[in-house]
Amino acid sequence: MTDKLMAGMNAALEKIANKYGIKNHAVFAPAAPRAAVEAVLKTSSKTFMLLPWRAERRFTELKNITTNGTLEDISTLRLCAIFSKSSSTLDQLLYRQFDLCEYLGGADIKSLFAVFNGKNAANVIVKLINGRNCSVECSVMLPAGAEEIDRHEIIARRGVASDRAVDTQIPQASIYAFTGKGEKRFTDIDSELFGFAPQAINLIRAAFTVLSNPETGKAWNQQHEKLLRLVAAAKKSDQTQKPASF
Amino acid sequence: MLSLTHGHTRKYYQTLKSNPKLDWIAVCAENKEVKKIFESGKHGVPCYLDEHEMYKKHPEIEAVILASANNRHLAQVRDCAKRGLHVLSMKIPTFDMAEYDEMINLVDRSGIIFQIELEMHYNPVVHRLKKLIADGKIGKILSVQATNITLSPVWAFPWQGMPEKSYGKRIPLRRDDKRFRGGALCDHPHIFDLIRWLTGSDFDFVFSDVGKNIRPELEVEDMLLINGKMQDGTVFLLDPSWSRMEERLKIPGPGWEVFPKRMEVNLMISGEKGVLACDCFGPNVYHNGAPNDRYTVQYTYFDEWIGLVDEFVDCIRNHKQPKINLKWHRQTIAAMNACYRSISRKMPEKVVI
Repeated sequence: MTDKLMAGMNAALEKIANKYGIKNHAVFAPAAPRAAVEAVLKTSSKTFMLLPWRAERRFTELKNITTNGTLEDISTLRLCAIFSKSSSTLDQLLYRQFDLCEYLGGADIKSLFAVFNGKNAANVIVKLINGRNCSVECSVMLPAGAEEIDRHEIIARRGVASDRAVDTQIPQASIYAFTGKGEKRFTDIDSELFGFAPQAINLIRAAFTVLSNPETGKAWNQQHEKLLRLVAAAKKSDQTQKPASF
Repeated sequence: MLSLTHGHTRKYYQTLKSNPKLDWIAVCAENKEVKKIFESGKHGVPCYLDEHEMYKKHPEIEAVILASANNRHLAQVRDCAKRGLHVLSMKIPTFDMAEYDEMINLVDRSGIIFQIELEMHYNPVVHRLKKLIADGKIGKILSVQATNITLSPVWAFPWQGMPEKSYGKRIPLRRDDKRFRGGALCDHPHIFDLIRWLTGSDFDFVFSDVGKNIRPELEVEDMLLINGKMQDGTVFLLDPSWSRMEERLKIPGPGWEVFPKRMEVNLMISGEKGVLACDCFGPNVYHNGAPNDRYTVQYTYFDEWIGLVDEFVDCIRNHKQPKINLKWHRQTIAAMNACYRSISRKMPEKVVI
């Protein structure tokens, strides 16, 4: 993340905090290299780890669908993330997907069994303490520059919810531009933060969530520690060929 | 907010509550039934049945949102201009061009801010679309195909199926047709407006034809198509139909849609250097759960009302002219009227300002 982008994100965070009357103040700071998330949020006395996907609207809406009675008796979550090495490591993908298992599944992870192929791909079966199963499919073998592929599907006795439309395999975009320079896609979903890439928007929204409610920041810090343990446990499960229980 | 009978009424509630620059002081419902529905939402905002009583009890009111049937707008605008209240109007101020010009005069004389709710301008995808075109990514626009297709709101907002309340008069579509002006076309000005913004040109002529209603019991049109040319030569084809079937709910909510996506604004734009395909409300998330176990698009973003209200506040506080003001919007209304004339005459119609 460049200094210019970080400065832009800080300015945007301050602007929306002012707009909505949030008095708390904090700034983004770079995370450690290859950390799960590119930036952390710093106040004068604390550092908060951010879980930006939790501020992403598709996950907010999927979460609502799991809790507002649209789905009944959820059984299984199918989560997939196929990225390139230039954008993510396998650890980063597992960190995010394990958090989404718990966030969308509504419970902590009870156990998991993982199989890895080096640092390129991993497939994990996860059990939540509420009995729900999750499949987590991750790979970093897309070529550099390819559009990232992910899918989050929730299967229940009554209803299936997904962030991917039926009969599609890859994410859709809002705008497709076909010109002499090839095809380019754009997906803009946030008017107040227009101009930032989706990843930056999610970080700013996550930071705004923490500023609005610092208790969320404390909970996310605890979750961060747990997610690191879960990723380590997945690797150990692969090495020992034994399920890990928590 | 006045009347609370417009389909967009409830979309303002969250913005009015969350924007700290606003004090949502009061609402005035059109009738007791509407008042009951509003009060069931427990918004903590007093609800009146008489506008004058509301104004008397709340002299601090600076601005109002006209959330009423189209035929109520002129009287409400007259009253607001007299009181010096700024107005955020629903998307059709009036279809009667004499009334329209009276509104322009009232606003000019009183000095109030008058903004028209064309919320697509605050949609982030439209923002991107405008930027790509302004940056010349596809060159000069040659052709625009656009949909603004939805379910029909008439079961929840009956005035939208009543010619006198929606169009303002009872005018037959054609001599040989039992239907009247006032249906889907009146509900969907956005694509008429967008093509003007995107091309920077005004309408030359339109041709329009109505299809057989998919809701035969309506006395207004629900299916129609329009094509024509802009003054810069851009050709277009617009579909502003109510072509997505709905459950006949009295209060909109989950399960309203029968077709999975209840509202679509899509544009396919061909330019001299390429093509843009645009879905202003997608992608989203999808489910087939409660209440009807049907495949359903669950929208993930509706930012439009945030930007719209931000602009309204900015215009009031800093005495600016809103992007969508009465004078700008006049040609859009004139084009929609030309569509009705074309339907009636079965011939293309010049759009006369």
